[in-house]
Amino acid sequence: MTPPITLHSIRACLEGAVPAVVATCSGDGTPNVSYISEVHYVDPGHVALSYQFFSKTRQNVLENPRATVLVIHPDTGAQYKLAAAYLRTEDSGPLFECMKAKLAGIASHAGMTGVFRLRGADVYRVDSVTEVYRTALAPAATSASSLAQLRCCIERLSAASDLASLLDTLLDSLRDVFDIRHSMVLMREPAGEALHTVASRGYTASGVGAEIRPGEGVIGTAALARTPIRIAHATSEFGYGRAMREDAARFGITAGIEDAIPFPGLPESQSQVAVPILAGERLLGVLFAESTETGRFGYDEEDALVVLASYVGTVAAMLEEDEATDAEKPGRSGPRTGATWSADPGAPLRRERQHLRRRRIHDQGCGRRDPVEAAV
Amino acid sequence: MDQSQGKALQLDVDHAAFIQGAVSVVVGSRNTQHVPDVVRGCGCRVSRDRRRVTVLVEAARSGSVLENIAANGLVAVVFSQPSTHRTIQLKGSDARLTRVTGADRGIAQRHLLAWVQDLRLIGYATEFARAVRGEAPDLAAVTFTLTSAFQQTPGPAAGKRLAQ
Repeated sequence: MTPPITLHSIRACLEGAVPAVVATCSGDGTPNVSYISEVHYVDPGHVALSYQFFSKTRQNVLENPRATVLVIHPDTGAQYKLAAAYLRTEDSGPLFECMKAKLAGIASHAGMTGVFRLRGADVYRVDSVTEVYRTALAPAATSASSLAQLRCCIERLSAASDLASLLDTLLDSLRDVFDIRHSMVLMREPAGEALHTVASRGYTASGVGAEIRPGEGVIGTAALARTPIRIAHATSEFGYGRAMREDAARFGITAGIEDAIPFPGLPESQSQVAVPILAGERLLGVLFAESTETGRFGYDEEDALVVLASYVGTVAAMLEEDEATDAEKPGRSGPRTGATWSADPGAPLRRERQHLRRRRIHDQGCGRRDPVEAAV
Repeated sequence: MDQSQGKALQLDVDHAAFIQGAVSVVVGSRNTQHVPDVVRGCGCRVSRDRRRVTVLVEAARSGSVLENIAANGLVAVVFSQPSTHRTIQLKGSDARLTRVTGADRGIAQRHLLAWVQDLRLIGYATEFARAVRGEAPDLAAVTFTLTSAFQQTPGPAAGKRLAQ
């Protein structure tokens, strides 16, 4: 039996690879058709449309909320109609930031950088999804079940006994199980907002210690907005390369060598995904992955990284609690190796980074799969 | 372009050529409950006096859109060239289903080739572009008199009436 068509089942149509169109109707009954730069999947019952200019579409849905959105599958060319109703506009917050970054990637891909600027995320309820037209083309094959892959990763992570091994296992699992070959974890300094690279895989230089500020590129935006940020096409607006190079130059003059650690990263990066690592509402860090392949990370990969980051955040918070408990015990002089980062602002993360650097140098002599350079 | 809304407009020669070229054609309508509907088209032709436009659609995909048009005559059609983003929208209030001619089938076939070629310029595979457009073996035609025309190329000028 063919499974029913749902918004979830056609998420691939909402990646922005093929432009969508929306039909609306004014209060006096005049129809209107418009192209939409970005139709964003919010949840199984909602989408958000990018609001860039005060358009007829926007005027119409304020008068009459009914809309019909026509989307195209990027692999098969099949077309689907969404019967939708406008609910509200969000001009800040996680959804807005997520769409803003994605739109920048779409604009770059379409040669429209500077023209596409997000003013709001128009949220619509989706009442039905119908297939208009089916083609003979087959959808791109998926390599394996995401659930099975997740299970494998979680089983590996369960064996980690401290933060360092937890993060190492996370990145190794992404490489081995999901074939994500370029990834890193950045952790937040407890006393500040800046993020520092503490572990990476797949880069010529590990970049451990390299800094990202909140709001900077996809990583800083994911941290600031506490939301996953994923772009399928390279965009200078959300790139980290240029800003990082400028920072390195600036810090090279004003700061010591510790601060001049170059950010790792692929110079030809096309696809990027950054997922916040949270303990409750507290930001611990960001998991980042990238690829030179366009559209490498889809909704499924984003889901997987969100689940893994959530697991790592929970375990890291538990390790942190253990640390705090141990520190209170008489005769205990200080945190263990693999320390966490909040009990003594600044010191635990610095210790962690020093520990990671020592390990890195040690690992270099052990035939590690991803050889790294000594950063300091 | 005559800008008086509600009266018959005349497309200029440039816009008439543009909408009959390598453009995506998207046809919108609405039902009695003011619920809008939309379908992708397969080309168009402009009348000799450039005041009426006939858009071609694949009948099997267009059922509810055509029902709406037959019921109330209201139509909105967007024409957009994928490789340049140049876009205009035309509207009418006297739209009706008209007979598909042999010439129309030729127009749809030429539109398919031109549109696929334009998509190739921006990186879409021929196989994919042809699949999206489809061969459209069963055409339907909708003819309407222009009552309004709008610039819709992405940017701050989108939504403004077409200048003469």
